Amino acid sequence: MPYSIHGPQAATGGKGSRMRGAELWYLKEIFRGMYVTARHFLTNVFHMADMPTLQYPDEKPNYGPWLRSRHRLMKREDGTPRCVACQMCSTVCPSDCISIVAMEDDRPDVEKRPETFTIDLLRCVYCGMCVEACPCDAIRMDTGIFEIAADSREKFVVDLDFLLNNTTDGVKP
Amino acid sequence: MAKIIIDGKEWEFEEGMNLFEACTIARGGEKLPHFCYHPGLPVAGVCRMCQVEIEGVPKLQIACNSTVRDGMVVNTRSERVENTVRQILEFHLLNHPVDCPICDQVGECALQDQYMKYGLYETDVDVGDKVMKHKAQAIGEHVMLDAERCVLCSRCVRFTEHITKTNEMGIFNRGNHSEVGVAPGLSLDNDYSMCVVDLCPVGALTSRDFRFRKRVYRLSSVDSVCPGCATGCNMRIEYADGVIYRQKPRTNLAVNEYWMCDQGRLLYKHVGGDDRLEEPFVREDGELSPVGWDHLWSALKARWEGLGESRRLVLVGSPHATLEELYGLKSLLADAAGGRVLGHRLDGTEMDRDDGFLMAADRTPNDQGARRLGYEAFTASELHDAGGEDALLVILDNDLAGLDEAAAEALGSYGAVAYLGWRENATSRVADFVLPGLSYAEKDGVFVNKDGRAQRFFKAVDGPRQAREDWRLIAELGEIFGHTPTWRAHHDLLSELSARLDAFGALAGGIGEEGTLLDGDSAAKEVERG
Repeated sequence: MPYSIHGPQAATGGKGSRMRGAELWYLKEIFRGMYVTARHFLTNVFHMADMPTLQYPDEKPNYGPWLRSRHRLMKREDGTPRCVACQMCSTVCPSDCISIVAMEDDRPDVEKRPETFTIDLLRCVYCGMCVEACPCDAIRMDTGIFEIAADSREKFVVDLDFLLNNTTDGVKP
Repeated sequence: MAKIIIDGKEWEFEEGMNLFEACTIARGGEKLPHFCYHPGLPVAGVCRMCQVEIEGVPKLQIACNSTVRDGMVVNTRSERVENTVRQILEFHLLNHPVDCPICDQVGECALQDQYMKYGLYETDVDVGDKVMKHKAQAIGEHVMLDAERCVLCSRCVRFTEHITKTNEMGIFNRGNHSEVGVAPGLSLDNDYSMCVVDLCPVGALTSRDFRFRKRVYRLSSVDSVCPGCATGCNMRIEYADGVIYRQKPRTNLAVNEYWMCDQGRLLYKHVGGDDRLEEPFVREDGELSPVGWDHLWSALKARWEGLGESRRLVLVGSPHATLEELYGLKSLLADAAGGRVLGHRLDGTEMDRDDGFLMAADRTPNDQGARRLGYEAFTASELHDAGGEDALLVILDNDLAGLDEAAAEALGSYGAVAYLGWRENATSRVADFVLPGLSYAEKDGVFVNKDGRAQRFFKAVDGPRQAREDWRLIAELGEIFGHTPTWRAHHDLLSELSARLDAFGALAGGIGEEGTLLDGDSAAKEVERG
């Protein structure tokens, strides 16, 4: 149903005509709108089980494995971080929210590991570039946690310990 | 002169000139791909990367080991050259571990840079098939060696053979198993060992001091001059977020060529050291206590006026201070305010051994600048004789008490001692007023090296919040003694001193990148090799 526009455009365009009668009072449109509302209402009343509304936060949506949620750091088999502190993630990060301090590791097969690894979740834009840049698959965004709340800004800055033991209560890898 | 055609354009170079250098000029400064060629080292021609096509010669030739001849036609960009370079680079990468994520060279690695241009991007070699070599060996106090990353360019070996002549490094084993290393029983601990870190085009030799501290591409750099000795090696200060991470030599053929000693490189540690003077101090009831600047100036003024009618001002400069500061001290506090300049250094102090290469016996950066301004060395007894209960001694960044015991005693004979400097030392501890200044990395200035070459250095990072530029402190002192300086900004000092003093007339036109010889002696003193 095309809209009619009052004013010079309508007058010169010739596409619409001046509204009159019932159309002038939007009567038809009011009933059309009420029909849509009533249709949804009655569908939900008679098919309660299929109701699209989720009872969030009791019920949570399943966004599928492609969801980019809160980060976690992977561990090696011996429990130490898989991260080698190459800083590719912090280099590629567009919001500059990752900061890493590297240190030397004395194990013969591991030269470098992170001393500190912090992510400022408030600055993070959840673009997932850090995950793509990581050469060791050490950082992932698959925890499924997308509701992040805290009562101070400092608590949004998460450290190495937190990220290593981040619970994956969402989708498991 | 020889006429030579490079990439279709005619050039004139001197006959016998290195073809690599000629090609660099002809290519507008873009160097041919290379690992082993270095202008400061003898040619080895081992990396085979700088291949060029020379007409009339059936095979490709390496430019670094060829010389310019008249009538030569050279092609550096043909498809044949690029294919060859690509395949040679693949050879270099055969046994390379490609562990860039944990390599400190990332961002300044010749292998990375050249792979971007000449990379094959597909390799037939499995990681498991690579020849494993020794990784992460500390071969000296300052240097870490990773033999797997090495491309066997032999720059480090040539450096220890021809420059330091200490011969610690060599290439051992043959063929695929060739490995660079230090000779058995030796370690790389000569005074210039960190130069091999700069020389290494890949991540095989890295600095232990800088190890894993920062990614190179995050560093900014500023031109500076080493304050460690009278040679005044040109260097770059590399810093990020207000922290200095390393100091690297800057090429100046007239002073330090391409090199720098380890001591000078590590001087940056003092800038962020624990012994920084970060606040103004005033001695109250026998104890030095931190105060605000306003308090210090009023206390200093009160003390000065309390010294009585016969009060005198005695000044001590410093061979560590910049030319501008020394001029400010002399022109404002001595010439205008009537202070007596004792000199700039205690006679015979801060001298060490001259190693015949870069380290000068005089371990101060600006002795020549001070002397040309009229400062002279003085003795502890002169310091004592100039003292008295009615004298205020102003010391500019000079640790008199720490250098000489007699001088430390002489300081006690003064009515009051004011110390301007940036590090806490024996003198600042006995002073009555401590005025925190800035280090060489936090201010602009000029040092005059032992050959009379004035060289500029620039500010890299901010100093402590309460510290002030030394020339401003001198200006404030002038106000206390009742004299307003004629200079309002830092650059006024240099222009005023070059206009007023004949010895510094050469600086009137500005100071060049290689520095300016004050004596106008165009024959730059050759850096002697030990």
